[in-house]
Amino acid sequence: MSRLLGRALWSLGGFALFLVLWYAVALAGVFPPGQLPRPDEILSTLVERFRDRGLLLDVRLSVLRVLIGVAVGCALALPVGFLLAWYRPLRLMFDPLISFFRALPPIALIPLVIVYLGIGEQARLSILIYAAFFSSVVVIYEGIAATDEIYIRAARSMGASQLELFTRVVVPLAVPQVLVGVRVALGVCWATLVAAELIAAQRGLGATIQDAAGFFQIEMVYGGVVLIGLSALVMDRLLALVMKRAVRWQERVGG
Amino acid sequence: MAGTKIEFDDIRIGFGKGSDRKEVLDGVSFSIEDGEFVSVLGPSGCGKSTLLTMAAGFLKPDSGRLVVDGKPVTGPDRDRGVVFQQYAIFPWMSVRKNIAFGLTLRANRRSRSEIDASVDRYIELMGLGGFENALPKQLSGGMRQRVAIARAYATDPSVLLMDEPFGALDAQTRGFMQELLHDANQEERRTAMFITHSVEEAIFLSHRVVVLTGRPTTVHEVVDVPVPMPRTAESRTSSQFIELRRHLEEVMRSMTTFTAAGAPQ
Ligand SMILES: Nc1ncnc2c1ncn2[C@@H]1O[C@H](COP(=O)(O)OP(=O)(O)O)[C@@H](O)[C@H]1O
Ligand SMILES: [Mg+2]
Repeated sequence: MSRLLGRALWSLGGFALFLVLWYAVALAGVFPPGQLPRPDEILSTLVERFRDRGLLLDVRLSVLRVLIGVAVGCALALPVGFLLAWYRPLRLMFDPLISFFRALPPIALIPLVIVYLGIGEQARLSILIYAAFFSSVVVIYEGIAATDEIYIRAARSMGASQLELFTRVVVPLAVPQVLVGVRVALGVCWATLVAAELIAAQRGLGATIQDAAGFFQIEMVYGGVVLIGLSALVMDRLLALVMKRAVRWQERVGG
Repeated sequence: MAGTKIEFDDIRIGFGKGSDRKEVLDGVSFSIEDGEFVSVLGPSGCGKSTLLTMAAGFLKPDSGRLVVDGKPVTGPDRDRGVVFQQYAIFPWMSVRKNIAFGLTLRANRRSRSEIDASVDRYIELMGLGGFENALPKQLSGGMRQRVAIARAYATDPSVLLMDEPFGALDAQTRGFMQELLHDANQEERRTAMFITHSVEEAIFLSHRVVVLTGRPTTVHEVVDVPVPMPRTAESRTSSQFIELRRHLEEVMRSMTTFTAAGAPQ
């Protein structure tokens, strides 16, 4: 417990140092007046926005979009990943195609999506699902394909059927790698979300930043950036907690 | 019921194609009788694991006949329990769940109480009491192989196939594990094929020892172990034991020099 507290203190220390540097730069007048707000100005802007302008709705919308994108994208990536890992011909056939789509930044597809799906919620979610699917599917199938043959053999020599092999050996062994895939998808979805909202949304953190920039409200631009960073960080930490519990059995103890 | 349990008849196999082709087993024949504990001894790389993998049903010989319980081997089967050289117990399951695993499969489905009784029995037999809920990563190598052996016994196979299960253990643990396995099998009376490259281990555990040559591999000789059963730590110092050990060590040494002097590996 005290070790946990120690770690929390160290990471708070990092943030504190960053804030001090920020104050120093802001107060030293490195930038022309009005271009670099102080942290407390950003904070009071955020407080005011939360109170009077429904900023919480934007945060919730963005978080919800990311959650849906990751959930649907990974839910699709999971069976596809298993199929690719299980059937070599499928893998040989689709691996290059998947690599192509994965290498393609989802943001590049936004104009196309707007053509076909307009600028509604559907369009944004499709982009996010696309991003989550292609960023996680490779991680998931590589993890499953790396399943150690020895466990399969051990189970077969005890009489396991194909279905039992799958549900009782392959799936549990794949859990850690699947979670890694989800984590990658989460990161990619946040990056993509902001771009998607910058272009085509009325609400959401990306849209808030875009609006604020349009009115030269530099404090709110910074405020939006901070909120995006915080939301992404919190979600990533929560997932890291889940992973830590789910992979307790692994030999290699991660940091 | 006496009779032949496992029969290898003129087994041949090689790996690779063209100039990379490597003949490994070059007509290996021997058999294991019901209730017998037989060790297969041979220099490293001669194809011991390959033989066992075939008996387990994971690999087909290029030619030859492999019969277990009167039936040609066509694939893995719950009648043949396997203990692997690498630690093959499931890392995400506790000791208890590992041992129970086979019994929860449809092929050997038992009632909850039967499973519990069986698992308790093998935990006791392999000296795993107190570690029921431990995860494999918390166990030493010796403990892991005890779990693997308990798991293999639990599904009640008619033969037990073990591939150098103690190969990675230190000498002291190794000696202890040999005694533990011997005592366990004195109670269980399973027909067993045990792979090893340790002369001491082969003699201590077995009724008979099959000695293989270096590649291309054939059976060099089959020796009866004249040391009375059940064996104890003292058996190792009996004159028959020491004499046979001297003989087999000499054979192993001559084979190693032969291989080293022969074609490059
Ligand atoms: N699947 C395989 N593919 C190619 N070569 C193999 C394969 N399995 C075994 N071998 C070769 O066969 C020989 C015997 O291997 P193995 O049975 O593992 O030997 P041992 O267990 O006696 O040390 C080795 O030279 C090994 O490289
Ligand atoms: Mg081997």
